[in-house]
Amino acid sequence: MTILIMFLFLFAVIIIAALYAVFTKDLLFAVVALGVVSLAASILFFVMNAPDVAITEAAVGAAVTTAIYVFAVRRTHREEEK
Amino acid sequence: MKRNDFILGSFFSLLILVFIGYFMFAVINENSDSGLTLKENTENLSDRVSLHYALKNVHEAETALNERGAEYLLNRETAEQSGAEYGSKNSESGAANLVTSIVTDYRGFDTLGEVTVLFISIIGVAILLFSMNGPMLTEPSLVVKTGNTYLLPIIMLVGAYVFVHGHLTPGGGFPGGTIIATGFLLMLLGMNAGKTGSKLLKVIESLAGLCFIGTGFAGFIIKGSFLQNFLPQGSIGSLFSAGFIMLIYIFIGIKVAAELSGGVLNIYTGGDDD
Repeated sequence: MTILIMFLFLFAVIIIAALYAVFTKDLLFAVVALGVVSLAASILFFVMNAPDVAITEAAVGAAVTTAIYVFAVRRTHREEEK
Repeated sequence: MKRNDFILGSFFSLLILVFIGYFMFAVINENSDSGLTLKENTENLSDRVSLHYALKNVHEAETALNERGAEYLLNRETAEQSGAEYGSKNSESGAANLVTSIVTDYRGFDTLGEVTVLFISIIGVAILLFSMNGPMLTEPSLVVKTGNTYLLPIIMLVGAYVFVHGHLTPGGGFPGGTIIATGFLLMLLGMNAGKTGSKLLKVIESLAGLCFIGTGFAGFIIKGSFLQNFLPQGSIGSLFSAGFIMLIYIFIGIKVAAELSGGVLNIYTGGDDD
């Protein structure tokens, strides 16, 4: 039962953060929301007994990809154009 | 670019292509005698380690834990039925981590392809964004500097641990190298070390890749097949076990760390700033 509640919480976090990343106008916030998606996904992988994938997802998705997107946003405009 | 360099580069590229083509053709044409070594003198399928691993799925482990408690998993006699035993010898692969033994041992040639894909993409990033006079870096704040001082050794150590112990614990060369690249990113932001070591990173990366391919050729010379495990298996769970898996993962970890660090460095400092 606790595992089910944990799954539902992680699903909710992933879906809400992904929708926020799509609909927000500020690209820096969108990048941080994508990092939150990767972090929740890595916790989900760990709960589902896949620690290898969890480590890779946390290192690649939450850290390096977020940093590269932040550098890309720094080179371009922060606000999304209409 | 000088014409001689171009001809030399084309010659080596053709040589590498011919080698890769030969090995792919050899794998297709190969009899199963000289391919992957299964455990010697094993007619019975249930004696193979890989079968025990394959039976150990999530659902089965969870139901066993719910029905019989934690002693079931710690019990030696029942542990033999559900998985490999710590310290047992003469196994098929010798790695305690199933994912690692598949990635580097059973399908090592695919891993060589993955490493090549990463290498080519990072080369593309470097061609697009490499420049020696990138934008000036901003001065890091006190919090970043202090956190950098204490966190950087820990991050590097965790990354090295993850890829050295890849055959025992979850993880391996790719995540370990990425963790080290994350530490390099922190160093980039916190120490203002922007223009250091781009060429050195390329040299380290190429040397690690050459060592990987050299290990493959050593397997070809000693055992007769490219990237075949030629070192002794040891006992499951000890650090020096599972043959050359630790060696391969150390090379992959160093290579991925240098590649991603170089890519992050190029993206951070390179290009025209306007």
